[in-house]
Amino acid sequence: MRTNWHDYDWQLLRDGPLSPNLHMALDEVLTYEVGAGRRKPTVRIWEWGAPAVVIGRYQSVKNEVDPENLGRYGFEVVRRISGGGAMFIEPGNTITYSVYAPQELVAGMSFQESYALMDSWVLEALKTLGIKAWYQPINDITSEGGKIAGAAQTRRGGAVLHHVTMAYDIDAAKMVQVLRIGREKLSDKGQTSAQKRVDPLRSQTGLPRAAVIDRMIETFDDLYGLNRDELKPEELEAARNLAETKFSRKEWIYIIP
Amino acid sequence: MHGEYKTPGGKLVVVDLEVYTGRLTRVQVSGDFFLEPEEALDWINAALEGLPATSDEAEIAQTVRQATAHAEMIGFSPEAIAVAVKRALSS
Repeated sequence: MRTNWHDYDWQLLRDGPLSPNLHMALDEVLTYEVGAGRRKPTVRIWEWGAPAVVIGRYQSVKNEVDPENLGRYGFEVVRRISGGGAMFIEPGNTITYSVYAPQELVAGMSFQESYALMDSWVLEALKTLGIKAWYQPINDITSEGGKIAGAAQTRRGGAVLHHVTMAYDIDAAKMVQVLRIGREKLSDKGQTSAQKRVDPLRSQTGLPRAAVIDRMIETFDDLYGLNRDELKPEELEAARNLAETKFSRKEWIYIIP
Repeated sequence: MHGEYKTPGGKLVVVDLEVYTGRLTRVQVSGDFFLEPEEALDWINAALEGLPATSDEAEIAQTVRQATAHAEMIGFSPEAIAVAVKRALSS
């Protein structure tokens, strides 16, 4: 049976900067913890400890990154467990978050519907900041000024993981040097320049990044309730272990070379 | 050999492959699509492996469709993979 947001006691995790690999591992660990009922449904706001290109589960490293520029600018490649496209990350330049929910929240929904549902609170938050944004199927949040965010989902162990990266202040010139954004990919976007694809939240809100995040948290709290929580030591331990044995390993990162 | 196809309104499908004695080998499908479960990518690659390089789009798509009967493809399709395979073969 399908549940709704109000059926749960939502928890907020908002930690300091962590390494990209540890973020990948935390997403896997926390998804399974929520699915197993050991953790209440959770919203996690990320802070990045280092520059990274995060590629989707099914992407090929060589198709997505320019290895020379990657090294020149000090980026690492990490691979997440969900599908979708590459994200260009520099600390402080994006707003990244995850929602971990029991699968019952999206029971019977198409993937399309569940993407829109999982970000409905974010659209509401953006509206209070004066941004008229909408969900562009399959997995983008967009506004009149252009794309704001990309989402990805996967379902594991009875839970749904929905994570999103919003562009707050992306250095588009650097991004197109580090990412290979193919002509084929842009073929139905009607745009000539890859730079134009990312429209920063900063220019549209005029607010500091932390203020946008605070408004998102307030909005979630107003809609469904949200309690401040901390990572459990055993969750962090499991994630550190998984970062070391899976996410930092070539066998995983280059699973599709 | 390398082929790419952007599903209209959907995701990019990339196919890398080689041809040996008239058949597809070392087939690797990739892209920014969504697919559940994650093992389904191996099912797709394995199904395409050994396919005659003369197969038409319909035959390739049918092969992928059978391999993904128990998978969920989001943002792409067996037909999209078939187009990318044909583009790789003509590259």
